[in-house]
Amino acid sequence: MSALSAPAEFTLTRRASNRRNPVLWVLSHGLRHWWLVIIMVVGAYGNAQLAAYVPILTGRAFDLVQENAGAISAGLLTIALLIGGSQILRAVLQLGRNFGAEVIAQKVERDIRDELYVSLLGKSMTFHSLQPVGDTMARATNDVREVNFLFSPGVNLVVGSLLFLVMPIVFAPQYHWSLILTPLLYTVLYFFALRRYLKNLEPITDEVRETFGVMNTHLSEALDGVEVMKGAAQEDAEVKRFEENARRVRLANVRQGDLEARFVPLLMMAVAMGIGLFHSIFLYRQGLLQTGDVVAYMGLLLMLDFPTWTSIFAYSQISLGLAGARRILDLMNRETNLDQNEAGYAGEMRGEVEFRAVCFSYSEAEPTLEYVSFKVKPGQTVAIVGQTGSGKTSLMKLVNRTYDATGGQVLVDGTDVRDWNLAALRRQISIIEQDIFLFSRSIAENVAFGKPGAGSEVIETAARAAQADEFVQSFEKRYQTVIGERGVTLSGGQRQRIALARAFLTDPRILVLDDSTSAIDSATEDLIQRAIAAAARGRTTFIITHRLSQIRWADLIIVLRKGRIAAIGKHEELMATSEAYARIFRE
Amino acid sequence: MGFFDELNPEKYDRQYKDRDLVKRIAGQFKPYRKGMLHISLLTVVMSLIGAILPIVAGRAIDFLNLENELLILLAIPGVVTFVGVSEWGLNWVRRSLTVRVLGNVVLGLRTRAFRAAAEHDLSFYDQFSSGRIVSRINSDTNDLSNLVVIVTDVASQVLQAVLLGVVLVNTEWKLSLILFSFLPVVFGIAIGFRRLARVVTKKGMQAMADVNAAIKETVSGIAIAKNFRQEMTIFDEFDTANRKSYRFNIQRGFVLSLIFPVLNAVVGIFTAILVYFGGLSAAAALVSAGAWYLFLLSLDRFLWPVMNLSAFWAQIQNGLSAAERVFALIDAEPAVVQSDRQPVEALKGEVRFEGVSFHYGENEPVLTDFSLTIQAGENLAFVGHTGSGKTSIARLIARFYEFQGGRILVGSRDIRTFDLQSYRRRLGIVSQVPFLFSGTVAENIRYAQPDVSNAEMLSLAKRIGDGDWLETLADGLETQVGERGGRLSMGQRQLVALMRVLVQRPAIFILDEATASIDPFTEWQIQQALHLILSEATSILIAHRLSTVKAADRIIVLEKGKIIEEGDHDGLLLKGGHYATLYNTYFRHQSLAYVEQVKELVSK
Repeated sequence: MSALSAPAEFTLTRRASNRRNPVLWVLSHGLRHWWLVIIMVVGAYGNAQLAAYVPILTGRAFDLVQENAGAISAGLLTIALLIGGSQILRAVLQLGRNFGAEVIAQKVERDIRDELYVSLLGKSMTFHSLQPVGDTMARATNDVREVNFLFSPGVNLVVGSLLFLVMPIVFAPQYHWSLILTPLLYTVLYFFALRRYLKNLEPITDEVRETFGVMNTHLSEALDGVEVMKGAAQEDAEVKRFEENARRVRLANVRQGDLEARFVPLLMMAVAMGIGLFHSIFLYRQGLLQTGDVVAYMGLLLMLDFPTWTSIFAYSQISLGLAGARRILDLMNRETNLDQNEAGYAGEMRGEVEFRAVCFSYSEAEPTLEYVSFKVKPGQTVAIVGQTGSGKTSLMKLVNRTYDATGGQVLVDGTDVRDWNLAALRRQISIIEQDIFLFSRSIAENVAFGKPGAGSEVIETAARAAQADEFVQSFEKRYQTVIGERGVTLSGGQRQRIALARAFLTDPRILVLDDSTSAIDSATEDLIQRAIAAAARGRTTFIITHRLSQIRWADLIIVLRKGRIAAIGKHEELMATSEAYARIFRE
Repeated sequence: MGFFDELNPEKYDRQYKDRDLVKRIAGQFKPYRKGMLHISLLTVVMSLIGAILPIVAGRAIDFLNLENELLILLAIPGVVTFVGVSEWGLNWVRRSLTVRVLGNVVLGLRTRAFRAAAEHDLSFYDQFSSGRIVSRINSDTNDLSNLVVIVTDVASQVLQAVLLGVVLVNTEWKLSLILFSFLPVVFGIAIGFRRLARVVTKKGMQAMADVNAAIKETVSGIAIAKNFRQEMTIFDEFDTANRKSYRFNIQRGFVLSLIFPVLNAVVGIFTAILVYFGGLSAAAALVSAGAWYLFLLSLDRFLWPVMNLSAFWAQIQNGLSAAERVFALIDAEPAVVQSDRQPVEALKGEVRFEGVSFHYGENEPVLTDFSLTIQAGENLAFVGHTGSGKTSIARLIARFYEFQGGRILVGSRDIRTFDLQSYRRRLGIVSQVPFLFSGTVAENIRYAQPDVSNAEMLSLAKRIGDGDWLETLADGLETQVGERGGRLSMGQRQLVALMRVLVQRPAIFILDEATASIDPFTEWQIQQALHLILSEATSILIAHRLSTVKAADRIIVLEKGKIIEEGDHDGLLLKGGHYATLYNTYFRHQSLAYVEQVKELVSK
């Protein structure tokens, strides 16, 4: 991929899936493995049919014994061998069903995670800076797994148990046509009852989950804040609060238990057995059935037991899976609306930045930035100061078009950023975020992340300029130290210097540094000061900072308050014009 | 069903005897004796009824040719329906009763466990992470009470099997023997599969954790990879992890897919054997056709209890471990012991340490023979390296930990004679990472002083930089702070924590100052709030900010639990001793002089 092709675009050739709705999407993934689907369905059918053979053959054995027509022993042996053999074959088919579903499930999990990941890589920076990582992670792990469970055990059990409902309907009529009535009626009524049951259950399980969640979060919050709780002598109040929450959990559990306790299909099953028995005895007395037929028929009716129990679990698994699929699809289908503007300006950047009456808001309701105007010459260092939520970070994200301004203009080198080729714009702007993410790889690889294949000499030079060399050398394996391995963790200040070293390697024209690390000791502070000063040399640098020293010596200071510029100028000017500014420099 | 439950119980060293645990668990159910009695009775009745069903169905075959048509047509289906319906009805009643009794037991246990946790001192929290305590209070209590469900379920199944067994032996002992000989085989297979499943699960857990970690890392790294346009590199890393996950899951899936087919095949073979030998016996008129049928129907009712028994012991052990964890939490001895519970109405803020010695663990003395007097109204700052004992001194004053030797007097009274809750109401404590509870800003401010009015809060807030900080909150005092205060910035959280102390008007103020960096405007407001408190209370400051040290009346320099220097900022700095060294290490870069020098420093 060349550097100039659109950076926000990343695609790999993949078979297209149907992303219209969760059901179609899951289907399009599952049916890709049609041969496994066939194995699963054939296995499920064979499993159910051979399960039905047991009562059928047993019935035959009863008839054999009742007829008492000699050679009983040989006849019984044949039947026994048939039963044993059919059940071994049934096991093979059931394994086919189980493992077939399992393989589909695993393949689908792998494929949709791949699809999700490729889609995420193709999303714009805007998307990624708005989308919380924890949420994405939950979808890439939990939700993807839920879709796996949708197939195995979900679909596996639904297909498997449906066929168990079908078999009595298929085989009962061979004894007498009218025997189809009970299993057929049961099946129909069963679905109505199940639907009602699931519908009633849903709000209650939601309530159980919610009340438990509330209890759990409050509890862990109270325990994490135990020092405050004890310090404020609020133990009794907290216990009362907890008990209140625990009581709600109990109530929800009782409600769920009550509903589950009167699971109607179970009652229907009992009635169906009675009616079936009555029916078959009646036919027997009419001379229309033999003893073995009654035995076989009862055995067939007993097959209904399996779907009666299993379906609750199987259907809820499927609905959980579809919910997971919906969340994944939501994420993948979310539009990101920045255009790449490949035809745009793509020249060398000098680093002049100008904001003209820029307004920006994430949502209609609250403006994040209002009428911000300033101009920065190439090579200048700008300190951006303000309280959390004053719009500092958003301001900087307009420069590389992570977001587009909703009003006014942002210009780089006199060209509106929207007229720049997006790739060229971003290639020459580097942003070091407040939370610096390092990969669990070697320090060398982390430094060279933006320039893979950089030689070790280049890497070390960059690290030295970023004042990182000293602490890296203190590790046993130096630049080959893998971060996160064997307890190697880096402090905020060290991470920041690794990130600065990255910037030295990629040498951007504009550097944005979100600097909120605090140095615990003066020696580290000296190092950080040197590193930042070196990074700022020769390029336009924006520093979002709390450090008085960075503010003091910046070429331009922008003080933001509630999204507006509260004060702007050089230190000396601000000392004279702004009381709020002046007082922070007073001891 | 239980078969797959508890495949991977954690190793846990048990301290309590099983018998004591069982006794204590039984004790939890004592208040619900009546309910438990009903549940047990229902369980027995249900087992009896359950055993009747195959017997009646078996009999039915024999009665098919009875003369009395009406009887056979009504009685047998009638009994079968009646049995099924009453099983359903009794189960309903039993389940409803159980869920209530268990709900009450769990509620009681949870509340008691939480009260115990709330009353433990902080040394307890050093030993156990709050996550572990949460799981003891919320899930272990549940597992403990579930023991009852496990036991009644298995007991009812076993009872039913035994009843049936007696009937079977009385019917035909030879066929019974054949049937019983199947049971150890099924048990063996079930145990074998549990082992196998445990192995694959355990192996899988580690592999799964690795894969999940890799996926997590690659997901978190997307943004940075895009920043540097390294999509392909990170995709390769993701792809490797994703494929590995697939390979591993397929293996595990195969083992788990195998279990039921194997069991079904075995049961099928057993059925064949029973059909054959039963048929022979029936043909030889040793048994009736109905009895033969009874044997076939009984097979299932023996196999399920056997399967469940294979997992029973592990489940019981697991439940007992859970019980032990809950009881250990409730029983844990408090380290902080008060000799009296005198109420503390008004308190003079004088604090005196007399030969105090203190350690966290046996071999790590923090303070030895430590003496210090803090005058009422004095502002005292402690400085020193990490581990010098600054925080410990503050914690002892708050009585969060027990000290081992000497005395601590507060307002000339022994700290051990106080009623702790009433004593702590006179203290205002702000910890290094200020902690807020989810709720509004106002709720957090009045956390220690629930009767403070909004007007009072507002007038106090106004005294801090003209209340500017309240204006920057979206809804002022009514702003939701989010879980653990997460929706507020660090600086705002500190301001709220200081406000909490301000409305409380404590006699003694203990501040473990934050090290996080805060924007200079908020920092200025925090200093304002701090000065308001300092002027009103005896203050014990663990200082990290230069301005705070400077504001102190007296600075105590600590090293390894000893006072090595004391005085005020200017005097100590002039002296050029320990404090001057500490100043150069921790505070120099916070001074305005440093800000002025930086330009030269970096150009060097």
